[in-house]
Amino acid sequence: MRLNEVERGDTLRARALIGAISLASGMRLPDAARVAFYHKDFVSAALGAWTQKTMRGESAWSVGQRELMAALVAKWNACAFCIGAHRAVAVEGLSRETVDAVLADFETAAIDEGFRATLRFLHVMTTRPNDLGGEDARRVLSSGVSRAALADAVAVGTLFAIVTRYADALKFTIPSEAEFAKAARMLLERGYQ
Amino acid sequence: MKPSEHRELADALRARVTEAKGKTDSTLRTAAMNRAALAEPFGALVAQIDEAAARVTDDQVAAVREALGSDKAAFEIVMAAAIGAGLRRFDRAMRAIEESGDATE
Repeated sequence: MRLNEVERGDTLRARALIGAISLASGMRLPDAARVAFYHKDFVSAALGAWTQKTMRGESAWSVGQRELMAALVAKWNACAFCIGAHRAVAVEGLSRETVDAVLADFETAAIDEGFRATLRFLHVMTTRPNDLGGEDARRVLSSGVSRAALADAVAVGTLFAIVTRYADALKFTIPSEAEFAKAARMLLERGYQ
Repeated sequence: MKPSEHRELADALRARVTEAKGKTDSTLRTAAMNRAALAEPFGALVAQIDEAAARVTDDQVAAVREALGSDKAAFEIVMAAAIGAGLRRFDRAMRAIEESGDATE
């Protein structure tokens, strides 16, 4: 973590929360949660509300599919923390084989064509956003994905364009695989707010 | 969710960057979000976060921290730059959906 105050907390309440959750869970509280507790007057509430609704709210995509989209966006952005964190949540809802096959190559993985078409859209959005146009959206919609479902995926792509960038800019500490698994269960129980 | 709900949540986030009572000047935060021209050391960090955040360096963050005088102020610039990169993608993708000709919600 490049900013010490984010790591240790900026208020008594934040420091107490970081200590209490670390103690109760038996692991160092991941930096993503420390950012959510930091500088509460700024963007954390707006970011948390949108993330919670996008990742856990009503959607044609399952929670596992949305988490897998997040892990893929993280892969395209080379964000090790977010790949580990969201792969670990995705495998709680989808098979480990499916998750790893999609992360290795979503074009050849055994997934339905609507999901694949949506991942293609997210790939362009993440890596070449200026190339994105109506034809890209038409291809997804003609695969049977609704406009609302595509917008839900766009929100995942947007939020993880943001999260991966601050995770890497602040240099989040990378937990072990066992810690990622434990944190994933916490994220499923408590959500993003 | 309806696409319009995502738009509202995106606008609320954009508004927080600009309107929140932060440690930095709103003009600086807004420029970081919009990737407008910025003096150094801000320009280099904002560009790096936008283009390849995995290659941000300790020195780039330390220089912004030093120029602004607090972790909280440096945090605001990091977050504004990241949010800007995300929202530019959001705007582009939502426009692509509109251009698809599909009029359903």
